[in-house]
Amino acid sequence: MADRNEFLQMVRDSLGVASGRVIEPDDATAFFEDQSGVSDQAAAVREHADSSRADLLDEMADAAEEIGWVIHRSTSPEDAVAAVTEICRSAGAKSVLRSTHDVFERVPVDAALSAEGMAVSIATREPSDDDAVDLERRLELRERAFDTDVGITGVDYAVAETGTVVINPRQGVSRLVSLTPPMHIAILEAGQVLPSLDELFLLAHDDFQKGAHRGMINLITGPSRTADIEANLVIGVHGPVEVHLVIVG
Amino acid sequence: MRVRSAEFKKRSAETARDPRRQAALQMLYDGLHKGRIAAAAATDNWEELRVKGRAIKWHTIRNLDYYLELLEERVVANGGKVYFANDDAEASEYVMGVARANDVKTVIKSKSMVSEEMGLNEAFEEAGIRPVETDLGEYIIQLANEPPYHLIAPAIHKTREEISDLIQQAAGGPREEDPKDLTKTARRLLREEFRTAEMGVSGVNFAVAETGSIALVTNEGNGRMVTSAPRVHVAIMGMEKVIPSMQDLSTMLRILIRSATGQRISSYVTIVNGPRKAPEEDGPDEFHLVIVNNGRENLLKDPQLREALLCIRCGACLNACPVYRKAGGHAYGWVYPGPIGAVITPVMSGKKRAKDLPFASTLCGACREVCPVSIDLPTLLLRLRSDLAEGKAAPGERSSVLMERLSFKIWRFGMLHASAFGLGGRIASAGMWPISRRGWLRRLPPPFSGWTSSRDFPRIAFRPFRARFRSRGGG
Ligand code: SF4
Repeated sequence: MADRNEFLQMVRDSLGVASGRVIEPDDATAFFEDQSGVSDQAAAVREHADSSRADLLDEMADAAEEIGWVIHRSTSPEDAVAAVTEICRSAGAKSVLRSTHDVFERVPVDAALSAEGMAVSIATREPSDDDAVDLERRLELRERAFDTDVGITGVDYAVAETGTVVINPRQGVSRLVSLTPPMHIAILEAGQVLPSLDELFLLAHDDFQKGAHRGMINLITGPSRTADIEANLVIGVHGPVEVHLVIVG
Repeated sequence: MRVRSAEFKKRSAETARDPRRQAALQMLYDGLHKGRIAAAAATDNWEELRVKGRAIKWHTIRNLDYYLELLEERVVANGGKVYFANDDAEASEYVMGVARANDVKTVIKSKSMVSEEMGLNEAFEEAGIRPVETDLGEYIIQLANEPPYHLIAPAIHKTREEISDLIQQAAGGPREEDPKDLTKTARRLLREEFRTAEMGVSGVNFAVAETGSIALVTNEGNGRMVTSAPRVHVAIMGMEKVIPSMQDLSTMLRILIRSATGQRISSYVTIVNGPRKAPEEDGPDEFHLVIVNNGRENLLKDPQLREALLCIRCGACLNACPVYRKAGGHAYGWVYPGPIGAVITPVMSGKKRAKDLPFASTLCGACREVCPVSIDLPTLLLRLRSDLAEGKAAPGERSSVLMERLSFKIWRFGMLHASAFGLGGRIASAGMWPISRRGWLRRLPPPFSGWTSSRDFPRIAFRPFRARFRSRGGG
């Protein structure tokens, strides 16, 4: 069994340095920036995302389309419900699984989808203090996620630079809803778009400082793809084959 | 994994004669290399990003002890476990222990070059555990029982006929040849594994010390599956993969992904901050981070060779390298092919076993030019050659070694004296003209013939690059 102290000493010996020394700061990394400034910067980023919402939404729509999202722009919540319903209907979906992102309060898709005869289920379980019971419920959710035709989620952020949708899994937001069904529909609202990855990772850093981070951050950009067979691009490997971005606003 | 680099000459010659492999290597050049060039050209601040990325990595490597300790602390704070492994055996033993403790029968793996170093799949099999590679390319080479051919495109050397055979054997059913159908079948087979496997093993593209996170870059979605569906996640990283801050990720991802595939971003970037945090719906209950040395200290302790630890494994230097494109990925005999493999394989595994590799280069500089962190690969190769020439020459090789040393002296003189370099280049170019075909030399006259017996040598351009560069408004 390796000894961590010996390992770290090996690294120090290789570098010819002593432990407990002061690290020479380097501007290239954000590590040495004033940490107390992070939350102010994060506030400024959120403010900018809000005040430039229309422009950022347009930029996002363009970048997302380029990378393989099918874009549906709607000006009202009713339009958005209709868009989601139409996507599912024309795909011949029989089962739909959705997260509990709060966008569904404004864009209530359940009734419209049920009216089309689809089985709508919500990707959450009742947490239990009994570990065995909780595990059983989580496994039941996993089965559902693997067996569903369409997964629908809101988004936590989007990134205009890359056409990326960002989802932070949590209670009500399973990791699998945007992954295991062959089709994923993400609903994006104005005010959620960040200009670039720089802002995204600043906000993520801020979450860490506040202890608000969770187990995973998912950056999703278009459909699943591969070029592993004779360098042919094939869409749809392990993740969704078809991805739709319904933009409200 | 066993190092077979001593067979470089034989295996590279085989590949050079095999038209199917040559076609595959050409695809890499046309696809990945040209994609990378276009992506770099479309990025306004590309050179700035490279400089920044290199500086971030240098800073971290120079203070590696500090950032590894911080990483450990933060992973533990997130609820994960960290294990420092000195070699492949220790790393394997730890992973097997985790698997046994969780009564694991099937492991799903997303691409991890370090696990290839360790021969982890064999270790699993010996322990009675079934390892399943889930990256489509890795899955194909697992079926073929071969090592990866390329850092990014592990099965690029396989023709669709060969892949058809492999997948038909695994799936039964009718034979398919369309890449779409083959992919669909692989999707169906692997889905059942994702649904039921008890443990996921992944590599690490970057580990963020400050937040105790790891970042995974994938296009297929298997990286997400492996880190989301099973109860246990083990991530394995070489000790050089750490970076200081979450905010450094934007720079590192931009240069890695553009250099690897020419994309602005991959379909998925997955940031794992330890195990699931209750009351999350899913995700592993256990997260283990295995930090591996396995010969990296040999690079770290040498102030010059240390630069190779800046590598972010993008594969761009492979695609750009005229020798890789002739010799192919398997000739390098271990896990890491191409120019970066030629530098790190002999040093990590012990120079004697891979002493041909530092000579598997024309020193044309294409690798350095495309490397996102500007690693000076030609100089590192020269350094290894001179190490070998000084101590390890077998008696019969003496004269050629001396000749090569002399050439390096001339080369070095030329590098230091630009006008002499230019003149020498023009004389050499004129001398090569009669024996070259379309800019490539099949045979060099003695004493250089040893160099071309297994690889072509590019004819030195009559008009030096420096002049062409200037006339295009550069420099
Ligand atoms: S040496 Fe540079 S170009 Fe080659 S794989 Fe590493 S980072 Fe990429």
